[in-house]
Amino acid sequence: MTSVTAAAQTAVPADWRDFLALTKPRVMSLVVFTGLAGMLIAPVPIPPVLGFTAILCIALGAGAAAALNMWYEADLDAKMKRTADRPLPAGRMDRQSALHFGVGLAFFSVILMELATNRMAAAILALSILFYVLVYTIWLKRRTPQNIVIGGAAGAFPPLIGWAAATGHVGLLPILLFALIFLWTPPHFWALSLFVRSDYEAAGVPMLPVVAGIGPTRRQIFLYSLPMAAAAVAPWPLGLAGAFYGIAAAVLSLVFLAMALMVWLSRTVEPAAMKAEKRLFAFSILYLFAIFGALVADRLLFA
Amino acid sequence: MKPDAPRPDDAEIRRRQRARAVVMAVLLALFVILVYAITIAKIRLTL
Repeated sequence: MTSVTAAAQTAVPADWRDFLALTKPRVMSLVVFTGLAGMLIAPVPIPPVLGFTAILCIALGAGAAAALNMWYEADLDAKMKRTADRPLPAGRMDRQSALHFGVGLAFFSVILMELATNRMAAAILALSILFYVLVYTIWLKRRTPQNIVIGGAAGAFPPLIGWAAATGHVGLLPILLFALIFLWTPPHFWALSLFVRSDYEAAGVPMLPVVAGIGPTRRQIFLYSLPMAAAAVAPWPLGLAGAFYGIAAAVLSLVFLAMALMVWLSRTVEPAAMKAEKRLFAFSILYLFAIFGALVADRLLFA
Repeated sequence: MKPDAPRPDDAEIRRRQRARAVVMAVLLALFVILVYAITIAKIRLTL
């Protein structure tokens, strides 16, 4: 906190790049991609300008949520190696600027979404921002190892928003995609938290490996991967996607399950040697991109 | 050092203020263009 105070005392305004860093641009790419996929697979086409604006609003909403997350968690971020260089813990920005930026961006993204598309898309966008900030960041993250399980819903909204922006309502397919991301989040983050466990421990965040241990976390990663794989393949037998998507989803999910099984069977306790966990974490990102890419290709090329 | 000489931080403060003003101006210009494009797209939808 001393560095933050020092920055405030010198009254040097934060660099614009630090405001950009508050929005976690790397995380945004997955949010934007899944939102775009939700829009492209919708049965109603949306004019390109309005579609672009909707995706922009999803990105800005995600950025706002990330900024408010960093505002609230500045003390936690300062204790973790992975996050210590963020603008607030590094003392390059005062907390009030981050709060104003996050709140302003949140209102801007929701209002622009309503103006460009419809009230349903704007409402889901507002819900996703509030869920991430109030439910995940403020309520769950410091209190329970279920933080990622319930909080994962926040990152699962973009396909719903993209679909709603095009159609004005919500259908079964985007709900399944919501379920897929919701069930994908725990294995994804638990794989990461296994090899950065000491960081979470030092910050006092009750992530599953810290609270329950390495073994139970590895088992949970595999167990959550099973319904995740089912949600990924489900659009095919339900007639919501074609064989191209179905086969791609089945193959990708089998690879995911095999990697999750390797994690479960692993006995490594040294973070640096956790190859199976690092492989699963890296593949899980590729998995989500590939699943949504296959769904869009299935809809655009084979429908 | 003169009494009204700039403090060491002043040059950096001015540089950052200028950079933020430029970024804000560019964003506002893009926003105006976007609102115009949204308006045209919405009008076409109702035709």
